[in-house]
Amino acid sequence: MTSPKEILQFKKEKAKEILESKGFFRPKRVYVGLATCEIAAGSQSIMDIFQSETGNMSDVFVSAKGCAGRCNLEPTVEIVEEGKETVKYVSVNEEKARQIIEKHLKKGEIISEWVVK
Amino acid sequence: MITDNFKKNFGDINFFGKQLRIALRNCGMINPEDIYDYIYNACGYEALAKALSDMKPSEIVEEIKKSGLRGRGGAGFPTGLKWEFTAKEQNFEKYVVCNADEGDPGAFMDRSVIEGDPHSVIEGMLIGGYAVGASKGIIYIRAEYPLAVERLYKAFAAARKEGFLGENILGSKFNFDIEIRLGAGAFVCGEETALINSIEGKRGMPRPRPPFPAANGVFGKPTLVNNVETWANIAAIIIEGYQWFSNIGTEKSKGTKVFALAGKIKNTGLVEVPMGTTLREIVYGIGGGIPNGKKFKSVQTGGPSGGCLTEKFLDTKIDYESLAAAGSIMGSGGMIIIDEDSCMVNLAKYFIEFTQSESCGKCVPCREGTKRMLEILERITSGEGREGDIEKLERLGNVIKQASLCGLGQSAPNPVLSTIKNFRNEYEEHIKLKKCRANACEKLVNYYVTDKCVGCGACKRVCPAGAIEGSLKAKHKVDLARCIKCGRCYKTCKFGAVKKDSGILEIMQ
Repeated sequence: MTSPKEILQFKKEKAKEILESKGFFRPKRVYVGLATCEIAAGSQSIMDIFQSETGNMSDVFVSAKGCAGRCNLEPTVEIVEEGKETVKYVSVNEEKARQIIEKHLKKGEIISEWVVK
Repeated sequence: MITDNFKKNFGDINFFGKQLRIALRNCGMINPEDIYDYIYNACGYEALAKALSDMKPSEIVEEIKKSGLRGRGGAGFPTGLKWEFTAKEQNFEKYVVCNADEGDPGAFMDRSVIEGDPHSVIEGMLIGGYAVGASKGIIYIRAEYPLAVERLYKAFAAARKEGFLGENILGSKFNFDIEIRLGAGAFVCGEETALINSIEGKRGMPRPRPPFPAANGVFGKPTLVNNVETWANIAAIIIEGYQWFSNIGTEKSKGTKVFALAGKIKNTGLVEVPMGTTLREIVYGIGGGIPNGKKFKSVQTGGPSGGCLTEKFLDTKIDYESLAAAGSIMGSGGMIIIDEDSCMVNLAKYFIEFTQSESCGKCVPCREGTKRMLEILERITSGEGREGDIEKLERLGNVIKQASLCGLGQSAPNPVLSTIKNFRNEYEEHIKLKKCRANACEKLVNYYVTDKCVGCGACKRVCPAGAIEGSLKAKHKVDLARCIKCGRCYKTCKFGAVKKDSGILEIMQ
């Protein structure tokens, strides 16, 4: 009989495959905060921008996340790249979101004045 | 280590680097609506698999007991003991309940955990159900949290599809499923016996204890009630072991506590720190101090059940006992920072107003007592305080604390009693001098125009009561008899010529 641990291991492998098919392991992962507080700060439209404008970029994966608890700096967007420090943009608005796509995601330039210290 | 992920991603930021995140370990790290993200990236359901494969239910109870975890809802009852009581009951039907009825003004930890990481709560409840022998779980959550409810339903569906909820979980003989009960937002329903009444479809009113819910809970069955944050800690303890958890914190309070930092502070947000961190580290370290160069006045912990602590308590180490000794409580984790612009009497009035309207009305001390306290405080803040009012408040408060049935009444007078203890002079000023030093009590404040006035007439134009007199280019004057104290002139004046002050007329015009 297989133990629960073994079954979970099997599920973990399956989870990896599913994440892979969704594009999770692409080089650049963008997390947009979508909790009640972030949405109240306007993150839904930012999510829409990221989703529609990165749709044809094969190296970018956009995902929702909960709130990390930085209330006064919301909406927040994180860009995770393997082997690099996560870049954390705060107080993002629609204009900033477009610039982040243009500069950071397309050209690899970090816009440091919008990054939280 | 289960906390490493967060540290790796956010550890370089001052605000996050000083925290230790256990309950919030995945919040802001994973997609809450994707179970595969949780399974693959957050050690998801590993604790459940470990419990089902390697541990007997009694061993899990023992593990939680040894970890020293205490109820994060506020009262701080040892979680392991609660589990043991429920596990010992002989009954083929038992319930496991998650209390997500977060009602404190300014607290949002539970919402953030459920919205950011719903599966860790589900996993905690599964382990709890297995440990105490229950097959039914209920999450009692307020209807004001629609997104949290929606994410829970999505998480249930995904967990059922993957075989984490339902029958023969992960191939074992353990069956468990969870349902949601929506609360209508009554504060008293956060009290566990009132919550049980509400689940049963009755009016949310507390029951006398004993019998405790562990013996006689939902529909008379043995019931284990824990708070969201407590449940979120369980999986971490099972994965990392009790030694790891019990090494964090102070002698009597282990682990971490999440606080919702709000009020007059630079960095507002969710803060999870090890027990034993001082208030000063939170306020000035993580919180970044008071904005706009204002002076720190007080920190309020525990919401409407807690108290206000002054500067001399800033080095208090946060744990259940030392906060209680200082005259406040841990509570569910609201932490409001107050600067010199706030009036403590007004603040106490606000909290009593809250508990008075949230009192369920079952027992007299709470129902009548809070009402009378509110009346006295309303009098004091409107300049009609009388000699002896403070003593009356103290006496009433002590009686309500001793004679009320449930936690709501037993703690309702705390904000008033602690502000009287720490800020008695402000109460006396209100009563004797009719003075509010923060100029926050509307009825005590008077507006007047100083010599800086250039006579532009801006204040005159915005005054809805026509209380400002003066011709163009001449100094204006406020007619106190007609002034309704709306403060529009004060906000409108570009020259800082309109001032406000309170107290028996000394400087007025």
